[in-house]
Amino acid sequence: MTGVVFDIKEFAVFDGPGIRTTVFMKGCPLRCRWCHNPEGLSPRPQLMVSRAACTHCGACEAVCPHPDGCVACGACIAACRGGYRRIVGQTWSADDLAARLHKDADVYALSGGGVTFSGGEPLMQWNFVRAVLDRLHGVHTAIETSGFASDAVFEDAMARLDLIMLDWKVSDPAAHRRYTGVDQEIIFRHARMLAAGDTPFILRMPIIPGVNDNPAHFETAASLVRDAKALVRIDVLPYQRAAGAKYEMVSMDYQPDFDESRDPQFFTQVFARERIPFQVFR
Amino acid sequence: MTARIESLKQLQWDRAHHAARRVLPADMALPYRDAALSDVMRCALRTKMALDMETPYLFPGELIAFTRTVPNLPFLFSDEEWADIRKNHFIHESGNVSNLSPDYGKVISSGLLAIREHLEQSEEHAAMRMSIDAILALTARYEKAARAAGDDALANVLVRVPAHGARSFREALQSLRILHFAMWCEGDYHNTLGRFDQYMLPYLKVDLDAGYLTQEDAFELLCAFFLCCNRDSDLYPGMQQGDNGQSIVLGGMTPDGRDGYNLLSQMCLKACAEMRLIDPKINLRVSRDTPLSVFELGTQLTKLGLGFPQYENDDVAIPALMALGYAEEDARNYAMAACWEFIIPGRGMEIPNIGALPFANTVDKVLWQKLPACADMEALKAEIRRAIFDSVRRTLCERQNLYVIPAPYLSLFFDGCMENSQDVSLGCTYNNWGLHGTGLAPAADMLAAVEQIVFGEGLPALTLLSAMDADFEGFSELRQRLKDAPKMGCDDDRADKHAVWLLDTFADAVKDLKNERGGIVRAGTGSAMFYIFHAGELGATADGRERGVPLPANYAPSLNVKLSGPVSLIKSFTKPDLGRAINGGPLTIEFSDSVFTQEESITKVAQLVRLFVLRGGHQLQLNTVNRERLLNAQAHPENYRNLIVRVWGWSGYFVELDKCYQDHIIRRAELNL
Repeated sequence: MTGVVFDIKEFAVFDGPGIRTTVFMKGCPLRCRWCHNPEGLSPRPQLMVSRAACTHCGACEAVCPHPDGCVACGACIAACRGGYRRIVGQTWSADDLAARLHKDADVYALSGGGVTFSGGEPLMQWNFVRAVLDRLHGVHTAIETSGFASDAVFEDAMARLDLIMLDWKVSDPAAHRRYTGVDQEIIFRHARMLAAGDTPFILRMPIIPGVNDNPAHFETAASLVRDAKALVRIDVLPYQRAAGAKYEMVSMDYQPDFDESRDPQFFTQVFARERIPFQVFR
Repeated sequence: MTARIESLKQLQWDRAHHAARRVLPADMALPYRDAALSDVMRCALRTKMALDMETPYLFPGELIAFTRTVPNLPFLFSDEEWADIRKNHFIHESGNVSNLSPDYGKVISSGLLAIREHLEQSEEHAAMRMSIDAILALTARYEKAARAAGDDALANVLVRVPAHGARSFREALQSLRILHFAMWCEGDYHNTLGRFDQYMLPYLKVDLDAGYLTQEDAFELLCAFFLCCNRDSDLYPGMQQGDNGQSIVLGGMTPDGRDGYNLLSQMCLKACAEMRLIDPKINLRVSRDTPLSVFELGTQLTKLGLGFPQYENDDVAIPALMALGYAEEDARNYAMAACWEFIIPGRGMEIPNIGALPFANTVDKVLWQKLPACADMEALKAEIRRAIFDSVRRTLCERQNLYVIPAPYLSLFFDGCMENSQDVSLGCTYNNWGLHGTGLAPAADMLAAVEQIVFGEGLPALTLLSAMDADFEGFSELRQRLKDAPKMGCDDDRADKHAVWLLDTFADAVKDLKNERGGIVRAGTGSAMFYIFHAGELGATADGRERGVPLPANYAPSLNVKLSGPVSLIKSFTKPDLGRAINGGPLTIEFSDSVFTQEESITKVAQLVRLFVLRGGHQLQLNTVNRERLLNAQAHPENYRNLIVRVWGWSGYFVELDKCYQDHIIRRAELNL
């Protein structure tokens, strides 16, 4: 059993309680216009280049066997003296990844931390993630997900993880399709499953200027979790203008399709009024 | 911060007191340079001259007085005399007594007059007496000035101290200020304020218990004292501005084995957070029993980007110092020298930075000279062991016939100096020397690469050396293989085991050595500025490092290595037996200030520090990345490959970001500072 991982980040301080290591799974079915991890979109390994640091010496072009289209063969990596090129997306076996994560189990235990699976969309490689989870005995585990998966997979995830961090991106269904590329219905259903269930969860709201920084969106989020007994809190994550930083590195264009320069507005009064715990990240 | 402190800070920030400074003319008469005078007498005469020339300067609303108005101090010897001395002696740095921790507490409690009573007719005693009298004369002038300004409270404090023992927190702080001020006037430098929270606590307690001071009053006095430490610090640069040794040590075990962390330790941490000044620099002594809340308070300072506290681990340091022969109560009482060296207050005339073992250069040299002839790793390691022993012995041989400029005044603060009429520059209870160890991680990386690629995969040694000679020009595949070999800092035993072995070998090499003063030689993991010198001597190296890439400072991973993260870093760097390298030298970890955007990060970083302590680390320093470093990284990305920044929901390597986003983060750093 193997999976494709695009990063493993130790001391991921924003990805759950305590000292945690976050595994970023490659591949995502959504195409959110504000996505800040473009290298997590494609499920396949790909070439990533630090174009800002590149000195255009030409050494990479000289050795490239596929000048008509990159196949991520990696021939140019050794040629780059600055070390500005790498393949993003490593294939891991469940055993190896579990061993890599388990080596720091003492640190997780000491700090009330654990392991978080993020992405991309980690549920897209659920069979692999589940195989890794099966090998992480005694470790607190969490997931950051869009919720876009089959009911069976989501139910399974709720049963197997200690904490679920579900994104609630856009409340208006038509706008949801427009800005994320997928239907909201299935995600709404999974949010309701969380609200009705026992698995501790955090609802995460990326707030994008002009897209979802309106009172109705916050009202909808509040109504989703109003009676949830396992809600930890709502995290409000304001859009950061650096979101587009990595697009050029994976030869993609960043087209935000909203007014990036405007600071998003928050309407968290509804959370305060309804005594829903929440936190705004800056 | 009270309004009074706010205004004092602003005045000081505006350099109001610089207007009162007057520089001595270059051609002024220097009567102490009389050939008939001994060095000790010259020193006392010069101290007297320096103190006599001072004009009292009082800030409006002054709480703790004494401001330097004559910034320069002419040298003790003429150029010819000094050249003559240098011909026959080893001179350490500028030649003055430095890097010691005077026992200020003793004198604050007894007062200078009580000491003066014990002085007899010896020349050393006459020199001590002359220094004391000059200090008291200047104090009397300050008292008069305070009286004239209508500040009877200050004047009354100056009537009492430092002539007599302090009775209150304010008197104790004022006494310390004067005693430390006079140290600079004697020409000594880099001498620290030591275990401030231990020797000052009794005065604070008396005032609080008797109700003379509220906690708020005491805090204001403490802030005023901290301000004082920054008042003249521009006059006392070391290698760089701010490198002045004005550090204090907080917490840690007391000589009789109790936990020394107290109310004053906590007040000091909070005062630093409020004042946000470079002095005093904080060393925080901790152990496995230290509560997380103390680490959290320390982390609040880290978050501010101050670069301190630096943490020292009692669990490692105390047994290690005892193993080196320090008495138990002295080992428990350790303080830090100007940077990170472990020293004993009032008892050590140690030179903890007398030289360095350049690990990277030593391994590199052996590879050049011996690798082709080595059949296996064991043979190579035997050569390296020999080279390390040679390097250490050579360093010691070059340090013969040490001369240190006398310091009769500072001698008052060292055990036995007055009693035996012996200047501290000639020695005290402990006369040990310390060697830094630079470039340990690159050295371990070189060995890991050679083990894997030469002895494992069969690359001919001469091919490796040719590639290094060519700075890997035309050897890009090989360079990539070397770079991909295991590196220290990633919790990979294949590299870390070499660091363990190298540090053990260093400790073995110094184990039975004695310096000419009868002291031992201690191994360390620090670098000071040596890493700059040592990097300049290197070409491309076997770990895939190109020529010109700097070596890491202190105890840190190579600069061109992609790390796994802070957890693996701490695990790697706590594998060596650091008790054997207790001359000191911190693991340095840098965080982006964006790590701290959520309050709970304070706890997480504190837990990380605690992890280091529990795993047997000796010394740790955390930095929060600041704007200047980011700008440097932008200009020289090749030197900052490991600089991690948190952008939002993801972290990245700063140099890998496009310029517009780098600019964005720099802007944000600007706002946070």
